Amino acid sequence: MTDLKAESFTLVITGAPYSSQAPQTALAFAKAALEQGHRIDRVFLYGDGVYLASALVAPPSDETHWPRAWSGFLEEHAVPGIACIASALRRGLVDESEKQRYELAAANLLPPFVLAGLGEWVEGNIKSSRTLYFHAGN
Amino acid sequence: MTMLLIVDQAPYGTWAGREALDMAFSMAAFDQPITLLFTGAGVNWLRQGQDASAIQQKSVEKNLSAAPVFGIEAILADRASCVRYGLNAGDLPQGVALATVNADLLANYAAAAFSG
Repeated sequence: MTDLKAESFTLVITGAPYSSQAPQTALAFAKAALEQGHRIDRVFLYGDGVYLASALVAPPSDETHWPRAWSGFLEEHAVPGIACIASALRRGLVDESEKQRYELAAANLLPPFVLAGLGEWVEGNIKSSRTLYFHAGN
Repeated sequence: MTMLLIVDQAPYGTWAGREALDMAFSMAAFDQPITLLFTGAGVNWLRQGQDASAIQQKSVEKNLSAAPVFGIEAILADRASCVRYGLNAGDLPQGVALATVNADLLANYAAAAFSG
C-alpha cells in the first residue's frame, strides 16, 4: 500500500451485540484501520449500541464475548470508548455515579467505557477526518 | 459544510427517529450546520395533529417544532415518500420543504448520518 493518506476515524455503533452484527463489524474495521496506519479517535455507542458496554453480558463460552473483545481493544490502543448517557440510562446501563444519583441496585458499565453526552459525537465529527456508522441493519 | 441527518423510521414503534432528532439538536447546539431529511416511513413525523396519548408516548410534533429554535438549518421531506404516504405539500408543517432525494442533493452535504 502506497500513497494512502492516514485517516482518523470516529466510529459510531448503534447496533447491539448478539442482536446485530454491528459491534463485530466495527471491531474488524477498527483493527484493519490500525493495521493500515490509520487512527481511531474514539468509539461512540448510541441507541442499542450501548449494550456493548454492559459488564453483565454472559454469552455461551463458545461464542465471542464482544463487550470484552471491544474493551480489550480500547485498552490496548488507548482509544476512548463513550456510551451516550441518555441512550444508556433508558436501557439500564449505568456507572457508579448514575447508580447513586438514581438510587439503583447496581452499576454495570464495563471499563474502559465511560458515559457522556452527544457532545462527544459532535466533537468526533469535528476532529476526525471521517465518522463511520455501524447500524443494526434492520 | 452541512451534515445531513436522515430520519427514515416512523415516529412511533422504534426509538431511532427520536434519537436522530437528539443528534440533530446536539449538532445545532454546538453550532454545527445541520439539515434534517425525512424519508421513507420517516415522513410520518411531519403529519400534523398527532395524538400519541393512547400509546403513552409524547407526540413527536412538539419535539420537531423546536428545530428552528435549536438552529437547525433546514428540514426536508422526500417528495416520493410523501406521495407514498399520502402527504400533500399543504399538509406539511411550516418551514418544511419538499426535496427530490438523489445524488445531486446528497452532494450538497459534507456527511450523511442515520441514527439506527
